Amino acid sequence: MGLTARRWWRGEAVFYAFALPFAALTVIFGVWPILLGISVSFTASATALKAVPTWVGLANYATILADPGFVASLWRTLLYAACAVAANVGFALAYALLLNSRLIGWGRGLFKLLLFLPVVTPDVPGYVVWRWLYDQTFGAINAALGGLGLPAFGGIASPSTAMLAILLAELWHHAGFYLVIFLANLAICERALEEAADIDGARTWQKTLYVIIPQLRPAIVINTVYALIQFLKTFTVVVVTTKGGPNGATDFLSYHAYQYFDQGRYGEATAMASVLFVIVLGVAVGVYGLGERGRA
Amino acid sequence: MLKRSLFGAMFAAALIAAAPAPAQQLTVWHDLGDNGQKWFAAMAEDFAKSHPGVTLRATNYPTDQWFGRVTAALNTDTAPDLIFNNYERVIRIVQQTGKVMDMRPVLAGVVDKGFISEGDLRVASFDSKLIIIPIQPTQMALGVRKSWLDRVGEPFPTTWEDVKRVAGKFRDGHPDGDPNGKTFAFALEAAKPRDLIHMLDLFIFGAGLRHTLLDPAGNITIDEPQHEVVLEEFLKTYTTYKFVAPDTINHSFAEMYQFIEGGRGGFFRVGDWNVNKWDSQAINGDFLVGPWPKFFADKANGAVIGGMRGVAVPENSPHKDLAIAFAQYMLTAPAQQASLNIMGAAIRKDLDIAGLSPRRQAFAKPNWTLYAYDFPESVQTWYPELEAAFHQKLMAAISSPPADWKAFIGKTAAEMRELAKQLAAKKG
Repeated sequence: MGLTARRWWRGEAVFYAFALPFAALTVIFGVWPILLGISVSFTASATALKAVPTWVGLANYATILADPGFVASLWRTLLYAACAVAANVGFALAYALLLNSRLIGWGRGLFKLLLFLPVVTPDVPGYVVWRWLYDQTFGAINAALGGLGLPAFGGIASPSTAMLAILLAELWHHAGFYLVIFLANLAICERALEEAADIDGARTWQKTLYVIIPQLRPAIVINTVYALIQFLKTFTVVVVTTKGGPNGATDFLSYHAYQYFDQGRYGEATAMASVLFVIVLGVAVGVYGLGERGRA
Repeated sequence: MLKRSLFGAMFAAALIAAAPAPAQQLTVWHDLGDNGQKWFAAMAEDFAKSHPGVTLRATNYPTDQWFGRVTAALNTDTAPDLIFNNYERVIRIVQQTGKVMDMRPVLAGVVDKGFISEGDLRVASFDSKLIIIPIQPTQMALGVRKSWLDRVGEPFPTTWEDVKRVAGKFRDGHPDGDPNGKTFAFALEAAKPRDLIHMLDLFIFGAGLRHTLLDPAGNITIDEPQHEVVLEEFLKTYTTYKFVAPDTINHSFAEMYQFIEGGRGGFFRVGDWNVNKWDSQAINGDFLVGPWPKFFADKANGAVIGGMRGVAVPENSPHKDLAIAFAQYMLTAPAQQASLNIMGAAIRKDLDIAGLSPRRQAFAKPNWTLYAYDFPESVQTWYPELEAAFHQKLMAAISSPPADWKAFIGKTAAEMRELAKQLAAKKG
């Protein structure tokens, strides 16, 4: 064995030996189910789970693309994801900047905790409480609005407000996570740049816009990508609060596909899931790529 | 030496012959919850008396999981010995797997079966096969809070006009005795297609009509004169009359039960399987049951047989003969008595009902007319898609009520006819 081979054996081979079991697990439990799901989308639903399914090519894709319900659900999902990403990342960024400013003194820890607590709250009980908050009969939100002499909020009972109601519930649940990422990024920002801006007489908004936010680009990119993945797949809040209603106002793609699964229409359901997978992957990679290119 | 060996071999053979038969375990998958577990345990104990060494392992799955689990198991030859569920769910298993045996020969082997009617067999058959042995018809009647009726000074209502009058009092007053509380006339559901249409089924069939949306010949029925009346009143219940809570639009079964048991709705659906619990818990017996309201002078109102639960044997059942024996056993008097006592329903009519509460007796020996739901999906396999489209139309109307309900129903009927034609052409 030559010197180079021996070095390889001592170095990289050991690394691969340790990494191999985890790589195998990733392939078995991560990649294989995805490929299996995609393969089911090319089979007839009735035979999807059989040892030898009937292959139907792109027929399931043709069926779902011809279904106005699916197309409406797709657009609805994209609209919701765009709004939810903007709201969550925007809110978390503003909150992080506020916590980082001198406006808040002793209460900083408490405010961090208040926004992070919902992140560790289990999804389902959290959304059940939101459903009660929105209840048109005994809900606290309309009680408060009524007390202030304001008109009632339709919440999840009205098609025109249901998407907003869901967005607010998800904002409560997820914004704390994005906040933590922003705070971590803020902690490693270059203070000297802010001091230089202060010496140059920059106002607070100028310092925030031109000095601090550009340094938060890594957190903005990571949070945006993660939020896109999360909100394109919105599901639990819909199951708990609206079941896709009222009148389809919150029938997002994940839930739409789930209803097909529920009817045993596995071929079409996995075709929808595959379309969603491609969109999520494409959008996430695209946004990440844009972020990286901007950094370069 | 040879002699000793022969004796040894004979002794061993005698021991093997005298040994008890090897223990066998049947498996059954159901979605009946804790009561189902109790019922299967009671039957297993009794079955073991005639089949020593045979045990039964019952596994309860939530309904959604039951469907996926059974489909996967039958398609991968890892099936349980028996499956137990509603007829329409077993239809889906048949469609997805094609591995549920025709139960006609199994039923033919049962001597004591005179209590099974032609109608019972009809709602247990699909594609000219008997896909379940009918075990428990599920009966649904109209329930109303007794204390609420007493407070508003009304008897159990008979006609739809009576119901509307009482419902108005439930909606506008404080029939629960709480001056700060808000009560509603009805606890219904609407979120999913089956939720809303199921409620409409009860109104339609309870009024003595047939075929909520589609008849066996493939004709849309919603704009037939009497159907139109019931559908309009049903939709007004959700909208114009304000008889239900505004959030009902998002309510499915879980929320509907919460609403009923929480004492927020006066009228509600009572299934025979609900009565045992509601007699002692949640509602604590504070309810009356009766037939659905009468809409038309020429039609008798009644309660609705909304389904038939039964047992099926997969073609690839690991212990098929024993599974068939157990399926046959489920029609015997002891198994049926356990079904009535624990589950609240049984197909036999010769059972002892003396120990049941008056409300349970009302279901066990009904003195009201019974109308069986027609299961359009057993004739038109594309019915669920049509129903989903119909649900969308109804939900749109409930969300934004039209000015002219009759025009809405007429337009919807035309659209449903067109869709039914397309689905029939596509799927046959």
